[in-house]
Order: sequence, then C-alpha cells, then structure tokens
Amino acid sequence: MSVNETMNEKEELLSVEHLEVTFNNSRKHRFRAVKDANFKIYKGETFALVGESGSGKTTIARAIIRLNDTSAGDIIFKGKKINGKLSAEDKKWVQRNIQMIFQDPAASLNERATIDYCVSEGLYNFNLFKDEADREAKVDQALNEVGLLPEHKSRYPHEFSGGQRQRVGIARAMIMEPEFIIADEPISALDVSIRAQVLNLMNKFKEERGLTYMFIAHDLSVVRYFADRIAVIHNGRIVEVAPSDVLFKYPLHPYTHSLLQAVPMPDPQIEKAKELVIYDESKRDLSGPKPLLQEIRPGHFVFMNDRERDEYEKVLEHLEQQ
Amino acid sequence: MSTLQDDRFTFQRAEDTASEHIAAPRYSYWKSVFRKFFSSKLAIAMLILAGTIILLSIFQPMISGYSPRITPNINRPEMKYIRPNSTYWFGTDDKGNSLFDAVWAGTRSSLIVAFAATAISTIVGVAVGMWWGFSKKVDVIMIEVYNVIANIPTLLIAMILVYAIGSGMGSLIFALSVTSWIGTAYFIRVQVMIIRDREYNLASRCLGTPTWKIITHNVLPYLISVIMTIISRDVPGFISYEVFLSMVGVGLNRDIPSLGQMIRDYSPYLISTPYLFWIPVAVSAVISVSLYIVGQTLADASDPRTHMV
Repeated sequence: MSVNETMNEKEELLSVEHLEVTFNNSRKHRFRAVKDANFKIYKGETFALVGESGSGKTTIARAIIRLNDTSAGDIIFKGKKINGKLSAEDKKWVQRNIQMIFQDPAASLNERATIDYCVSEGLYNFNLFKDEADREAKVDQALNEVGLLPEHKSRYPHEFSGGQRQRVGIARAMIMEPEFIIADEPISALDVSIRAQVLNLMNKFKEERGLTYMFIAHDLSVVRYFADRIAVIHNGRIVEVAPSDVLFKYPLHPYTHSLLQAVPMPDPQIEKAKELVIYDESKRDLSGPKPLLQEIRPGHFVFMNDRERDEYEKVLEHLEQQ
Repeated sequence: MSTLQDDRFTFQRAEDTASEHIAAPRYSYWKSVFRKFFSSKLAIAMLILAGTIILLSIFQPMISGYSPRITPNINRPEMKYIRPNSTYWFGTDDKGNSLFDAVWAGTRSSLIVAFAATAISTIVGVAVGMWWGFSKKVDVIMIEVYNVIANIPTLLIAMILVYAIGSGMGSLIFALSVTSWIGTAYFIRVQVMIIRDREYNLASRCLGTPTWKIITHNVLPYLISVIMTIISRDVPGFISYEVFLSMVGVGLNRDIPSLGQMIRDYSPYLISTPYLFWIPVAVSAVISVSLYIVGQTLADASDPRTHMV
C-alpha cells in the first residue's frame, strides 16, 4: 500500500493516455508503431521505457517532444494537452520545458558548427540572454557543469570523444533549464567505461534541479539502479509497468521474463546453465477476452485479460510467500 | 642497473580536467579547404591556366578594342591568312584581323555567358531546392514541374527562346538559365531529403530552431561541396552550350565576338588554313577542362572528410 500512497502524493508531470502513433506509407499500407499506450510520469522521478529495437519506445519519445505526429490519444504535460495542433506560443512552451538527449553523440551534433554554437542554439532561439557577455557566461557555466572546458567552445564536434560529445548534448539540453528530459538511449552508443560518467552526470542534474527523466533503454540491466519505475514495451504495446524493485522481484508478463533472461550473468556457470526464454507471441495462449493494461498490485500494471489475471495472481502469491 | 629509489619520485597534483584537453591544433574549415586544394599539383597548374585565360580575356579585348564589325584590313589581301608568327601570334583571319584579338574577345563573351547563367541557375536552384526538400506540399507540385521540364532537352528550349526573343547576350543568358535551375534544384532537393531528418537536425528542432535557420546553419554548410560540384559541372557545360548555339547560328548575334561563330566561320578553312579553326576549338576546350578540374578539386577539398591528415 505504501507504494500507492507515495504515488498519489506525487504530482503528475506527464500523462500519456491511449496514445497511438501510425505511420502511413501509403493509403493502404499503415503501420501502427505505438498501440494504446498509457502511463504517467510523476515529478522528480526517473521513468524508464524498456523494449527491444523497433518496439516503439523512441516513437513514444518523439511523439512527446512533437517530432512525430500522433494519430490518437492525448499527451498531457502539466495539465495541458501537447500533442496535435498547437499555437506557436504553446509549441515554444513545450520546447522550453521538454528537452531530449539523443542516442548517438556522433550524429546528434552539427559537425559544421562550433561547440559554442551547438550549446547556445537554444539560447539564440528563445533569446535567453541579456547580451553577448551573458550568453558566453551561460555557455561557460553549462560546459563547466558537464566537466568540459571553456577552451572547447571554438572546437568542432569531430574533435571530441564520444563521451565528451554526449556531455555537449547534455549541456545543450540543460542550458534551456527544462523540467522534463527525455533521454533516448543516451549511453548505448558509449564505451562501457564512460557510461557511468554520463549516468552520474544525469543524476547530479536531477538532484540539483529536481528534474524528471524519461529514460529509454533496450536492456533492463542499465535501468535497474537508475530508474524509479520501469515500463516494458513490446511491439508498440506497453506490457508491464512497475517500480523497478517490484519489476525485478515479481516479473509477471512473459515478455518481461525474457528481457530479464537476456541480461548476461557474470558467473559463467550460471550463464551456461541459464535457460533462455524466447518470447514468441504466436505460441502463447491468447484465449479469453481482449487484454488490457490493468493494475494487479498497487502501482504494478500488467497487460492481461481476466484469465491471465488469475494465473498471474497465483504466481504472485507463490512469489510473495517465498 | 640502478634500483628505483623513493626520492626519485615526486607527488603531482591530480587534475580532473587534464584528460579533457584537446592536443590537436585548431581546426579551421576554410584553411583546410585551401590546404587540401593546393596539395594537388594538377589543380594548381589548371588554376594558373584558367586564371591566365580569364585575365587575358578580361584585359586583352580592352587593349585591342576588337569588334567583328571593325575590319580595317579587309581590302589588303597581303594582311589576310598570315600564319601564326612573332607579330601575329595566332595569325590573321579572312578579313585581315589578328586572330589573337578575336579569340580573347570571343572567350570573354563565352565566359560572361557561362558565369552569368551558372550564377543564376545555382542561386535559384539552391533556393528552390531547399524549399522543395523541406516542404512536402511544394514537393508534390515541383516533382510534376520537374518531370515535364526535365524531359524537354535544354538545348531545344534555349534555341526556341533565342529565336523568339532575339539573339544577344542577355537573351542567351536568360534562355540558358530559364530551365537549367530545375536540375540543380532537384539535385539539392535529394540532398536535403537525405540530411533533413538526421539526428542533429531533429535536435535543432527540439531546441526550437526555425526552419530557415536549420537551412542556413545545418544544411547549407553540409552542401558546400555538392554546390561546388554543381558549379564546376555547369560552367564548362554552359561554355559548350554557348559555343554550340553560336556555331549553329542561334547564339550570340554577329556584333558580339564568339568562339562558336569563329568555329563555324572557319570550318571551311580546315584544310587550307587549319589554325583558324583549331585555335578557337583548342581555347574553348582548354578553358572548359581547366575550369572543370579546378572546380572538381575545390569540391573535393570542401568536403571535410578529405581533411584528415
């Protein structure tokens, strides 16, 4: 019950309701990338969206930040609908308050612009500085906060290492002073040795500024300690949402099981003995009424129908007794 | 072998920022472009050749004051058909005029037409191509316009236009550039579509950058080498168009000296006085080739992927 109570106390920052994103290649050929997605993100938490490549997690992120059009459903940010048609003023408000950290630091910086321009691009667009000296001071501070040096301002992105570039990407987002940050696999293109550096940096900003993160990842091991709540997405559909310790303790949906299984074990004997679960929807028993994302325990949602609910109840009771 | 003693070590302050320094020398785009360009000996030779021809064609006609209408030696048979010698470097023609004067005056006309037509079709083509690549609505219309115009030969349109509006420098430039920009625009449209949805442009959109600023700051700098390639292909192309149209008699009028007219006028002398035919042909070929090689080398040099040392 405690989970539920703290959830209710928390302020809702973003809520996604019945979101659907469709790509129309032609009139006949339509592809539903996101199907009926529902989740809420509370202020100050780190919400992770985990799924395999092509599952629609980046599409959800891009729909929130208005890079992709939505075909149905609502995205509510601070009580305001932000998908669909918006006035220029509201668009600016969304851009000011929601920022994104991109996956590939090599591709997400303009190679023909100096770091100075890359970092101050948002300042120019929103006139967030009084004069040239103020802008320079802001850029210096932003670079300093991510551990880069003022002398880097006149350099070009190709002169930096992957980790440094990703920090430039973070500085560029942070200088806008947003409330909500979408991090689209920010560490998956980085060397393992500097992943922790970037995660620590993100945590530092979260503590200092009370930021809210939506963290997208393709494997669960990364988000285990970083995220407060995890949503598992498969084939455009959210199959399980739970606080991260609950998800690791009581995984219910078979797809979550197979994702957990995919995390490699450091012990070679356990790793060898591990039985791989490959999730195949066509082999599942899908009989019964149409499944929906339902709450099985407070704060723990699973995509299921009533028949599956009974099965999961039994599994849960069994696990809780242990 | 000496043993290592403790007193040979000293404490150093740990510096967190030490690993952040970049040791490489500062990168400057244009400096690298010129370094790369001047590393090619062929390009330097061609630049000197093209530069010499351009300077000659600017200044030599000013000194000589050559015009096809002024023929002081027309009644002096001893002045006609003098083979190239130390006084008349390129010899004299059928009217007793120095071919040296005539050739540079003709080259000047060709170069003016070529550079003006290239400038118009590149500026219009790049501007329209950017708009075309970014807007889906414009794309629907423009692709049909392109399909129609691209399937009519440029030469045919140019010839009919010159017939219709009369020959002359201005009308030839208009006739050559009136449809050729669409090829440039289509080329730019494809490039824009490739670059448009790259992650760094999405990042700019997230930061609220307006489209025109994305074009000038994110897309145009990436297309410098592509635009250079277009220019280096267009200039020799327009030179040969001008020469060809003047040769078939629909290019420049008879008051304006032109390499094409010379080639047409002197083709009957191919056996008797071949220099009258071959010198204008050679000059037209040399200027086209040298400008093309200079342009292509500059296009390669302006691609930062070639800047790696």
